[in-house]
Amino acid sequence: MKPAPFAYARPDDWPAALALLAEGARPVAGGQSLGPMLNLRLALPERVADLRHLPGYAGVTVQGETVRIGAGTTHAAIEDGAVPGRLGDILAGVARRIAYRPVRNRGTIGGSLAHADPAADWVAVLPALPGHAVALGPAGERRIPLAAFVLGVFETALRGDELLCAIELTALPAGTRFGHWKFCRKPGEFSKATACVLARPGAPPTAVLAALDAAPLVIADAAALLAEPAAEAARIAAALALDDPWRAALARTALRRAAEAAR
Amino acid sequence: MTAPEGGGDAARDALSRSPRGVGAPLRRKEDARFLHGRGRYVGDIRPAGTLEVAFLRSPVAHARLLGVQKPANGLVFTAADLTEIAPIRANSALPGFRPSDQPALASGKLRHVGEPIAACVAASRAEAEDLAAACVLDYQALPAIADMLAARAPGSALIHEHWPDNAFLETRRDEDLADLDAIAAAKVRRRLRTARQSMAPLEGRGVLAEWDPRLEQLIVTTAAQMPHVTKTGLAECLGLDEGQVRVVAPDVGGGFGYKGILLPEELVCAALAMRLGRPVRWLEDRLEQLTANANCREHFYDVTAWADAKGKLLGVAVDATVDAGAYSAYPFSACLEAAQIGSIFPGPYVLPRFRFHTVSACTNKPPILPYRGVARTGVCYAMETTLDALARQLGISAQAIRAANLVPPTAMPYRNLVGKVFDSGDYPEALRRAVAAVDVAAVRARQAAGETVGFGLSVFCEQGAHGTSVYHGWGIPFVPGFEQAQARFTPDGVLELRVGLHSHGQGLETTLAQVAHEILGVDPARVRLVHGDTALTPYSTGTWGSRAMVMAGGAVAEACRLLGERALAIGAALLQAPVEGCSLRAGAIHHGEAQVTLDQVARTWFRSPQNLPANVDRGGLDVTAGYRPDPDTGTHSYAAHAVVARVDTETGNVTLEQYVIVEDGGVLVNPMIVDGQVLGGAAQGIGTALYEEMPFDTEAQPLAGTLADYLLPGATEVPDIRIEHMETPSPWTRFGQKGIGESGAIGPPGAIVNAINDALAPLGAEVLDLPATPARVLAALARAGRA
Amino acid sequence: MKITLTVNGAAATVQVEPRTHLADLLRGELLLTGTHLGCEHGVCGACTVEVDGAPARSCLMHAGACDGASVCTIEGFGEDAVMAALREGFSAEHALQCGYCTPGMLVVARDIVLRLPDADEARVREELAGNLCRCTGYRGIVRAILGVLAARRGAAT
Repeated sequence: MKPAPFAYARPDDWPAALALLAEGARPVAGGQSLGPMLNLRLALPERVADLRHLPGYAGVTVQGETVRIGAGTTHAAIEDGAVPGRLGDILAGVARRIAYRPVRNRGTIGGSLAHADPAADWVAVLPALPGHAVALGPAGERRIPLAAFVLGVFETALRGDELLCAIELTALPAGTRFGHWKFCRKPGEFSKATACVLARPGAPPTAVLAALDAAPLVIADAAALLAEPAAEAARIAAALALDDPWRAALARTALRRAAEAAR
Repeated sequence: MTAPEGGGDAARDALSRSPRGVGAPLRRKEDARFLHGRGRYVGDIRPAGTLEVAFLRSPVAHARLLGVQKPANGLVFTAADLTEIAPIRANSALPGFRPSDQPALASGKLRHVGEPIAACVAASRAEAEDLAAACVLDYQALPAIADMLAARAPGSALIHEHWPDNAFLETRRDEDLADLDAIAAAKVRRRLRTARQSMAPLEGRGVLAEWDPRLEQLIVTTAAQMPHVTKTGLAECLGLDEGQVRVVAPDVGGGFGYKGILLPEELVCAALAMRLGRPVRWLEDRLEQLTANANCREHFYDVTAWADAKGKLLGVAVDATVDAGAYSAYPFSACLEAAQIGSIFPGPYVLPRFRFHTVSACTNKPPILPYRGVARTGVCYAMETTLDALARQLGISAQAIRAANLVPPTAMPYRNLVGKVFDSGDYPEALRRAVAAVDVAAVRARQAAGETVGFGLSVFCEQGAHGTSVYHGWGIPFVPGFEQAQARFTPDGVLELRVGLHSHGQGLETTLAQVAHEILGVDPARVRLVHGDTALTPYSTGTWGSRAMVMAGGAVAEACRLLGERALAIGAALLQAPVEGCSLRAGAIHHGEAQVTLDQVARTWFRSPQNLPANVDRGGLDVTAGYRPDPDTGTHSYAAHAVVARVDTETGNVTLEQYVIVEDGGVLVNPMIVDGQVLGGAAQGIGTALYEEMPFDTEAQPLAGTLADYLLPGATEVPDIRIEHMETPSPWTRFGQKGIGESGAIGPPGAIVNAINDALAPLGAEVLDLPATPARVLAALARAGRA
Repeated sequence: MKITLTVNGAAATVQVEPRTHLADLLRGELLLTGTHLGCEHGVCGACTVEVDGAPARSCLMHAGACDGASVCTIEGFGEDAVMAALREGFSAEHALQCGYCTPGMLVVARDIVLRLPDADEARVREELAGNLCRCTGYRGIVRAILGVLAARRGAAT
């Protein structure tokens, strides 16, 4: 189980990274998703561009209410409290349940989001949060609402000539309630249904239902779900018309339990 | 020095109770190297000039192979290139068995996904995989046999075209049970399935083959449980005499049956090493293991059972099918499991009447291998869930129906209606203790409060270390006979033990040293075990069938006893005392206050022979002894498993809250190691019960290619299992010990699914198929109209 | 490609293909065979080593990513007191059988002990979820880690 041959490049600055991208290089951050695909020969890039050494790629900066998380920030850093405040608590709780610690030590929030595996944790949670994905292309930075970033299975709103360079989130007040529930039979297993519900004081609650082998379902106003978790979760899950009755039951349960946890 | 023939309470009572002898929880001698990363597995051995092999494997389950287009450059070998390899034949003498030839590399037909077609050879594994990726296959697809129950349907494609249908063997015991309908208080019928699994040792298979031109010898270093059997198979298929083949099994990263086989890959690497004059190595990766070698456990049972009002069994009829895969694997054959089902289905119970019919179905899947517990895990699952179904129908408890049927201790040794002989034990006591270890009343109270929580039991016995009298009738490529051990002193007085079986986690380097200490009083730290190298050890059929501690333990004890007699004679002469006045204890020969140590005796034999008595045994301090229990029908360890499980009826998820095992392995040579065997087996059994399944699609394509899809139990899935021991000595073994290595893996599916079904009973739902995944639990609720 | 990394405290420069992962580099080029390969897709944990001070899957780091890294393998912990205590505990609790998962298990166990000094049994089990053992049923491993944690807490008070 060894990869097919590929070339390796390590750009030192963003223009060099974009140039490599334009030449067809496959960007890689922590490599925790691409690595297995390389080993299994499911991914056959001619060249990979290692983004980890780009300036500002990892790390968290706060400006006023805006928290900018470098795309190369590892899950472990977030788990360990790199993001301050209530937002940081919420993200740390999500991060802790991603794969395993040795994977979290290398895997990054941006790499995971840009990879857009439907079962991935950030894919299922970030769309519920107020904020943007920051894409960098030849024309400069572009902000994409997180709720509109993941478009499908392994498909994002990033253009072919763009790299995801950061996630910008709005800080959350202390009274923010958050419910998150995912179904894995064991830690680290790909989720079979993930839901989260975010209730901020003074703003409509949001919710996401994900890990259903499709783009995440983003519920921009989840007030009804919060009010009547069981009935509304059943209605939303039924509307998805999932073929597999077990997955349908999990979707329903995930939404309801996430909503109940956010009340 | 103790020298009884062995067995029973006398053997137990004669034990020294030394903190380093039989019965002591001595820490393992082998730990230090593993804890420092100094274990040496096949993958760690790479002589200069080694070439690596990647196999081009069949992408389809059933096809006519029309050709392989090789890349322009590179070493690629197909069956047509390696005609010196004869096909693997593992025939059985059981009447009606249909032989299958398994080619080392496919020729003519492809019969399962992952079947090796070509060996691609390069300086590195990555480059070898590049070659495999550059090959182009030409084949004509045939309809695949993906389901064992459909294998014999009229008009099915034939996997072996000279057979009349897709079955290796049928066995049966006819008995008309129709009259039971009229007299039974309860009758149940269940159709049950177990899933195909991957044994998944952490280390994959691995082979390094070299040709030694000086010795004109093939040296195959391979992750093998049965190196001597592998040697015989290699010699047969390669046309070499057995003196020309040496098989070395170094450290092996888990076996469980997966490495108890002659591999097509071993034959290919051996042939290539001889052809190319270079060391040739193949290391199985996880993708290969999962997609080409998910090869165990897939059974179907159609069970009918009758009982009287108290739950006493009146009769059982079982029709069982085992998915045996495409070929008969060497040496255990394609029919071991199905044929075993008939003989072990009665389990630990008194069964007055019994009918069975079994089929070893041939399908387009990897050839079946016996996995820890062999057919017992499936049989125990079928019997134990059927008993609970009877109990529910009768309105009696799971404990009551078992207590009504277990063989009582007063009947031991007990011969059941199919001729199995149980050596010793108190089966009902194990049941009592297991039930007592769990607060069943608390479970009932929670159930009454509406919780879907349940209590489940399973009871079983495990035949181990069964020998010649059991196996000679099977006609498979080996019959276990006298297990041999060599014991000898080195000139500095270190005791060297040589055994032909192999230790790959069982701790034999420690436990056999404990046996030597028991007999000779030598310090286990000064005992060295040589094992798993056919050039250095006596022949053995290897490590399988829970036999190592009974067989090698007995052989080492006997060799040490004889070695002690020789040392005693020399020691007596050095003490200038009569032999009969001397004794051997604590590593020295004593006469009154005087003593000479075994070190001094060894030094005398080797380095001061002038001091030896004139009548010294010229065989010296080097003894090979053979051992076989008498009778050799095997030991029967037994256990009761008790489980409390909680079911989430919204997701179908099952959580194990409590797990208790009451186990009787006879005299425990090292209780710490026995616990490890039982716990590890139970973890695997939990995998069988809840997690592990290799699904195949209708084209017999395996669907789980990674460990993210094929779920192995981790630290969060295996609860803190509590073990209680009973120690009823076997009357037939050297120290009263029983084989116990497989036991833990047998009980969990029955106990866990019984707990699940106990939880679901108020909802009218019942799980029938393994593993009891959340999807299956929800489906069971849906069938009952409750989801 | 030519890369330089620090392995067990010593600088190493190796010439490898970019597709070579760290585990193969350690095992094949540097003959450090204590790091084992169990799945090569990041699930089993057998190949876990310490990279820049934190456990990582060596099967998922291809050569380029290793350039400049500092790696510690099971062979490199020397007289480290936590590792010594874990080794003692693993032997006492019979936390290993075939030994194949053991090096990765120890690297992760050491991280648990240092990072989560207050971990209870449930947390230890959760943290071990990325390291598969097919032999022991985990009880000995969990007990060994809990024992080292308890001893360190005792020593700290």
